Amino acid sequence: MIGPSRVAELDMPAAGIETGAARPAQSYWNESWERLRANRVGMTAGILIVVLAVIALLAPVFTLVTHIEPQAINLDETFLAPGVKHLLGTDDLGRDSLTRLIWGARVTLGVAFLTVAMSLTVGTAVGMLSGYYGGWIDDVLMRLVDMVLSIPAIFLFILMSILFRPNAFTLAAIVASVGWGSVARLVRGEVLSVKQRDFILATRSIGARDTRLMLRHLLPNVLPVLIVAASLGVGQIILIEAALDFLGLGIQPPTPSWGNMLTNSQSYFFHSGFLVAFPGITIFVTVLASNIFGNAIRDAFDPRLKS
Amino acid sequence: MTQPLLEVQDLHTVFRTKEGTVKAVDGVSFELTPGETLGIVGESGCGKSVTALSIMRLQRPGRIVGGKVMFKGQDLTRLTEPEMREIRGKEIAMIFQDPMTSLNPVFDVGWQVGEPTRVHHGWDAKRALASAVNMLGRVGIPAAASRAEDYPHQFSGGMRQRVMIAMGLTMTPQVLIADEPTTALDVTIQAQILDLLRHVNREFGTATILITHNLGVVAGMCQRVIVMYAGRVVESGPTTDVFAHPKHPYTWSLLRSIPRLDAETHEPLRPIEGVPPNLIDLPSGCVFHPRCVFRIERCAKDVPALLQVNDTQHAACWVTQAGGELKGA
Amino acid sequence: MLAKYVARRFLASVVVVLGVTLITLVLMDRTRGTYVPGIDLNPSLRPEDIEHLRANLGLDRPFYVWYLTWMWAVLHGDFGHSMIDGSPVLSHILDRLPNTLELTATAIVIGVLIAIPLGVVGALRHGSKTDHGLTVLSVAGFAVPQFWMGLMLILIFSVTLEQHGLPWLPSSGAFSAFNGGDLLDRLAHLILPATVLSFFYTSIWSRFVRSSMLEVLSQDYIRTARAKGMSERRVVYLHGLRNALIPLITLIGLELPGLVSGGLVVEVVFGWPGIGKLAFERALQYDYTTVMGVTFFATILVIAGNLLADLLYGVLDPRIRYG
Repeated sequence: MIGPSRVAELDMPAAGIETGAARPAQSYWNESWERLRANRVGMTAGILIVVLAVIALLAPVFTLVTHIEPQAINLDETFLAPGVKHLLGTDDLGRDSLTRLIWGARVTLGVAFLTVAMSLTVGTAVGMLSGYYGGWIDDVLMRLVDMVLSIPAIFLFILMSILFRPNAFTLAAIVASVGWGSVARLVRGEVLSVKQRDFILATRSIGARDTRLMLRHLLPNVLPVLIVAASLGVGQIILIEAALDFLGLGIQPPTPSWGNMLTNSQSYFFHSGFLVAFPGITIFVTVLASNIFGNAIRDAFDPRLKS
Repeated sequence: MTQPLLEVQDLHTVFRTKEGTVKAVDGVSFELTPGETLGIVGESGCGKSVTALSIMRLQRPGRIVGGKVMFKGQDLTRLTEPEMREIRGKEIAMIFQDPMTSLNPVFDVGWQVGEPTRVHHGWDAKRALASAVNMLGRVGIPAAASRAEDYPHQFSGGMRQRVMIAMGLTMTPQVLIADEPTTALDVTIQAQILDLLRHVNREFGTATILITHNLGVVAGMCQRVIVMYAGRVVESGPTTDVFAHPKHPYTWSLLRSIPRLDAETHEPLRPIEGVPPNLIDLPSGCVFHPRCVFRIERCAKDVPALLQVNDTQHAACWVTQAGGELKGA
Repeated sequence: MLAKYVARRFLASVVVVLGVTLITLVLMDRTRGTYVPGIDLNPSLRPEDIEHLRANLGLDRPFYVWYLTWMWAVLHGDFGHSMIDGSPVLSHILDRLPNTLELTATAIVIGVLIAIPLGVVGALRHGSKTDHGLTVLSVAGFAVPQFWMGLMLILIFSVTLEQHGLPWLPSSGAFSAFNGGDLLDRLAHLILPATVLSFFYTSIWSRFVRSSMLEVLSQDYIRTARAKGMSERRVVYLHGLRNALIPLITLIGLELPGLVSGGLVVEVVFGWPGIGKLAFERALQYDYTTVMGVTFFATILVIAGNLLADLLYGVLDPRIRYG
């Protein structure tokens, strides 16, 4: 890696040289951040997500202040319409909707981030190994990915949720068990293209070990793609998990999640249809924000992809 | 003097960009007489392709903002789109540089070559195919009848260009515009394609405009040549005259810069100093003056018009218009 | 050439199927210990059935024997028996399959029929207000939870309309139990679930068609077509769209798995009697074998769907056929 001092020695304009991974990577990250910041809509979406995450984290504080527990059943106050005491009304067991929504955010967002973390970890490891080593390792791993991706996800989720007790961790693991496949393919693709670049050859020729090469050189170059995939994927994962919760196969009541708040809603359609609206709108807004933010991040990293 | 077939008069085509308005074609004028082969030569970005596209009214997203293109008594710049479609492919045809990307990958070549006859003449598929096969044979594609069912990717580069030429000639147009027809091809194939174009010109009598940056191609193919620089015509005349005694410093420098086999090995190459101008912000006076070794004071101030400097040649240069000679070290 | 391509893809599919069976059975293995002995006490099961079940489930047998037995059974069309009543899983599947196909096929057709024009309009008018509007709709479309959209549509078009005495759309089942079953009745039941199912895909596909069209329209061969004097309509729809649709086919093929399984949630919300709802109902009753059988069957459909899409692609793109 040629550092700034060597550049001066060579007496050439700094902008024109291929200096290997480190220098362009640094300014690339800065450049990308600048581009992201310039994207008003994207930044708004990103801020919205951060706000939601903060609200989720502060759920206990909210309850402390309002003295309303999310699980507090009050059979005298079921199905109240939105009003002063209960801003978004109450559900079939008299529990406050707003409080449950806020606590539900913890669950939904928490499981989503956990799933993303798991998918990314396993997927990156597999993709890296596959792309780097090639040969039979690549064949085997990619066949494995093909197989996992062939099984219709939701059937697999249903099956696994009756086989394993569904709590937040197992739910995340279940959803991640399919998600890692696409991540692996993505990472493998990136690794294959980065592998061709000269600096890899150069680093190898000075005797760098495989793991070092993978971690210190390939990984930073793969990172942008991962970040984009993660931010675009969070939305879909939230939708999947909400669906599983709705079906009763995910987070079980009384723990509130945005999905399971809608589980038996068809029974109270006739008089309290509004209860159906709130959790759905929340999911919609969150997923929308994460999709927009994901697109903004992708555009920030690679403006050429903008249509 | 024969009546010119195509007459471009003071054509102006611009492209609006964020940085400013690019004057791609900045007052180009030339004539094309029936049956002749005219060369348009210049470096990349000088506006030769845009000129050709403007004639065909395919210059979008650019806009023709001035001038005329007279063809058979009509001003092509003023025609409606349906009227222009009657001309394209039928009276004036154009073939492009890269035959791989210029042919549609999902239709077989027989279909593509026959398309103009089906659409312009209303011929049925059978008749159109027969004519296409005939055309393919005439441009030198062996086993044309069976090859007509093949797809573009199944042909080699040279063969694909022949297909393009067949496609261009299928309606026996009066004018064929060939935009860098050999640039994307191997050198040996280039010669074959140029032969074909010469043959076609003789057999069909099609007037040809040959656009290229390669002076050698011009020398072998064109009776007359115009030299373009920064969107303007700087010199025009019979090829032999222009090459023997160029009357514009740009042409002169271009000819000098070509490496020669008979030069001494220690002689340095002679590139043209400087860089091509920014088309948004052209230099004052003569566009070429910053890079010109013959410039005089006037060149930076006044724009020279393309005027006759001897019996056969026109040049846009204050020096040669005043009778000066271009001689250098 | 085409035959070679088909053979290659088919072989790859077979390998994947074998792998999936292995995964499937490894998962199944986990349930072996949980088979309740009480199943023997089910009065509606004859002793032979119970033995058959035990043999089928491979209790007390080493894994590989069990695997081979199961594979053998599958190849003979035996996808296992329900743990609840011993009835063959396959017959349940075949009963419900036409309904699922009816729903998903309709959704695909709606999706394609709407996505292509929307995408083409977006491409032809890119940068305009119409285009921006369509993009916003698409982006919003990705974010709507399917089950919620279903619930909301039922709320609006079934419940609320009925409450106000207006003609309303049915909200469950594939056809009415009483004097129903005719085409109009089936269509009325199909509208809401098919709309929900196609919504998500319309959003994705219309954006894709748009970008594919934009890319195709910037290609050199489009310029050539114009230079031949072809009308703009011919250039866009014949020369352009034909090329732009090729990647769409691949995309639809890639989404086929999503459609076979994505329909599950819609089926449950709308009470649509398809294989998704079957799996769900049985899952709630811990009928592992049925769920396994359905999952495996659905997987076969997915793999077959991918193969079909690959073949279609090969037919449409001559570069593959003759390359």
